[in-house]
Amino acid sequence: MITLDPAMLNRVIKPARYTGNEWNSIKKDHDTVSVTVALSLPDVYEVGMSNLGLKILYQILNNREDTAAERVYAPWVDMEAEMRERNIPLYTLESLKPVREFDIVGFSLQYEMSYSNVLNMLDLAGIPLFTAERDEHMPIIIGGGPCTFNAEPVADFFDCLVLGEGEEVMEDIIAAVSSWKKAGKINGRSGILKSLAQIGGVYVPSLYDVTYHENGMVAEVLPNCPEVPLVVTKRVVKDLNKVEYATRPIVPFLDIVHDRIMLELFRGCTRGCRFCQAGVLYRPVRERRPELLLKMAKEMVDSTGYNEISLTSLSSADYSCLPDLVDSLMGELKEQGVSVSLPSLRIDSFSIDLAQKVQQVRKSGLTFAPEAGSQRMRDVINKGVTQKNLEDAVSAAFQAGWSTVKLYFMMGLPTETDEDVLGIADLAYKVLDLYKEIKGRRGAKVTVSVSCFVPKPHTPFQWFGQDLANEFERKQQLLKARLRDRSITFNWHDARTSFLEGAFARGDRRLGQVLLKAWQNGARFDGWSEYFKYDVWMDAFKTCEIDPYFYATRHRDFDEVMPWDHLSSGASKQFLQREYEQAVTEELTCDCRREHCSACGVCPGLGVEVLDWGSRA
Amino acid sequence: MAKLRLEITKGEEIRYISHLDYASAMERAIIRAKLPVAYSEGFNPHMKISFASALAVGVTSQAEYIDIECKEEIDVNQAVEHLKASLPMGIRIKGAAYMQGNVPALMAIVNLATYEITVPLLAEDIGIIEDSIRWFNEAEAVLYTRESPKGKKEIEIKQYMAKPITLTALDKAVRLILEIQITPTGSIKPGEVLGALVAMFDLPVDIDNLLIHRTGLYISNANRQVSPVEL
Ligand code: SF4
Repeated sequence: MITLDPAMLNRVIKPARYTGNEWNSIKKDHDTVSVTVALSLPDVYEVGMSNLGLKILYQILNNREDTAAERVYAPWVDMEAEMRERNIPLYTLESLKPVREFDIVGFSLQYEMSYSNVLNMLDLAGIPLFTAERDEHMPIIIGGGPCTFNAEPVADFFDCLVLGEGEEVMEDIIAAVSSWKKAGKINGRSGILKSLAQIGGVYVPSLYDVTYHENGMVAEVLPNCPEVPLVVTKRVVKDLNKVEYATRPIVPFLDIVHDRIMLELFRGCTRGCRFCQAGVLYRPVRERRPELLLKMAKEMVDSTGYNEISLTSLSSADYSCLPDLVDSLMGELKEQGVSVSLPSLRIDSFSIDLAQKVQQVRKSGLTFAPEAGSQRMRDVINKGVTQKNLEDAVSAAFQAGWSTVKLYFMMGLPTETDEDVLGIADLAYKVLDLYKEIKGRRGAKVTVSVSCFVPKPHTPFQWFGQDLANEFERKQQLLKARLRDRSITFNWHDARTSFLEGAFARGDRRLGQVLLKAWQNGARFDGWSEYFKYDVWMDAFKTCEIDPYFYATRHRDFDEVMPWDHLSSGASKQFLQREYEQAVTEELTCDCRREHCSACGVCPGLGVEVLDWGSRA
Repeated sequence: MAKLRLEITKGEEIRYISHLDYASAMERAIIRAKLPVAYSEGFNPHMKISFASALAVGVTSQAEYIDIECKEEIDVNQAVEHLKASLPMGIRIKGAAYMQGNVPALMAIVNLATYEITVPLLAEDIGIIEDSIRWFNEAEAVLYTRESPKGKKEIEIKQYMAKPITLTALDKAVRLILEIQITPTGSIKPGEVLGALVAMFDLPVDIDNLLIHRTGLYISNANRQVSPVEL
């Protein structure tokens, strides 16, 4: 156990990030369990603690008598400096034990910009960075989360990566590690890695070799031992009604990013937006039963003392039994002062009714995500929303008393022209005009947030070359010049951050060196604008003689081997290509849960089914 | 309406949480315990609870007080039992009583706080320590500059010292006992007193490693000194 110096904690900001003891946290005696797991999200406490996946795994793993699961997050820069000065290794919040004494360290990889924090945390823990340098006394380093679907840039640092949903696969992993330990760590590290590689959904990068063509493209990725599959396919939970949920989440002392109950109504989204990686990775839609959700919500209120429930799913408004669920949640929990919130709204007036229902008293702003400014562009991305839908939704909101609207967009989408970009401004002005028409006076406030589109693996746009940073900047200026109205606030993303994210999102294994170099030169917390060091990254690319443009801005041909072709989301490449072609011709694809199957390949390939209770009623 | 007053602790386990976080931890515990707590009316209803005095990050206490307004009076032992099962580590209940009639707010009546400061020594000779403390105790006035985001402010410390500071030598550390008055116009924090001792009276201690513990919070006048639950 590590002792924490008062001088250190007195000096850092928010010391409660590092001292644990939160309600519902679980402390087990390590001598009584066979496997210990440190669960991590490589970002600061407030971000890490808000991750739903880790909450679920924490509960599932701790439910097992043979396992102790604890938490560790990235210490903020002030704390890191104190720890390094005092030689305090990275430790977990439950037992204050060094992370390197655990059997497994699991990192949730949610965004590429957290990769440098992974290296930093391993280093702080005193764990060798490269999988090849670790022996059987070192923890097994596992990655999970969306980035594992192309974790090639971090492949050299991870012992294995888990594709897809963790509930069941983590249990398989624990069982494997437990029996390996009991057998005296038979065949050492390579013994356990080989047996992990045989679990469905588990990718052990060191058991695959990558070869490259002379032009720098990937030639092939092939197993270097006979026991492992050619393609690793994601895990899915067939029936979410049958797996454990995080009904006793830890209640932090600090305000965290999502400081409320998270009720996950369903997984997946079948609307089929062509830029959306999550939409592909979490297919198909699987809903929980409304009765079960109500029961879970009540349990969570009792176990946490939170008075707010957020309905968190990729597009919560799509839940087939939503109005009834909201009614019963509000009806049963109002007594206890519990409120319900909907983080994402569909762009239609039905959603406004719901939004009105849940926020009966306070009217904070409404958020919509049209994603693109012109109808043409929205058809390219298959957003399936018309100008009229938007106008109706906003009008309904103004009639219901709202006056603040936030609109989310992307720029740099495939086939985008300046006209499409300026369409964003037109839309913002249209919203102001609608308010004036309805209320007879000015007074609406519109926030326009525009991010830079990053093409992601496993999406129809994975072949598309990202805009250059200065092209993004030009478009931002173009829009800024058009948005000169005091009622409009314009926010935009840093183009250089998106460029780096773009290079890593579609990177291959060679980027591991760049990451290492950048980290050595001080990169960490890259997702935090105040710490993002663009020059350090560009220097690292130069030193390693690797061209970031090759990864970020280059268009790919359909027949190019992608660095992630051996990692499968279940959606076929043919489907993605078809969607790309339909994007170019501005053709729409329907929602497969409501209309007909668009043959993405997930359901038959993985033996799962769309579960939509509304359609069965 | 019934006002339940509790005497609770802020223990080692939660030493580094802020007063605001401590208060919301209590709120959540009250919800988990299903106490019939009252809420304010209006746009953004909040739980009707109030504390005696805020405690800084890094300070523990064996004498925190909270008033909980309840919609109905339930058995005090039962309320305590339910709450006990819902409290995070570091918060214990030491006393509980319903306040009768229209009692004034805790904040308004508490006027004395006692603290123990434990801090490692930087000198071998305890005589040096005793000297600094004696000079401080004998000084007519001690001016301390409080720096906050709002700016600098000069404060005369001695007006708030209810008693001379006393000290106990520990192994390589020293423990100071402070009695500080809380007045309607202000007070001084124990850490600030230690800061003045180090800066102006050359107290040779490792101030970075100080540990502060609140030992009592009182309503005190010429005749008697009672804790808020003894009222
Ligand atoms: S296989 Fe068909 S129904 Fe299943 S997710 Fe894909 S498109 Fe939808």
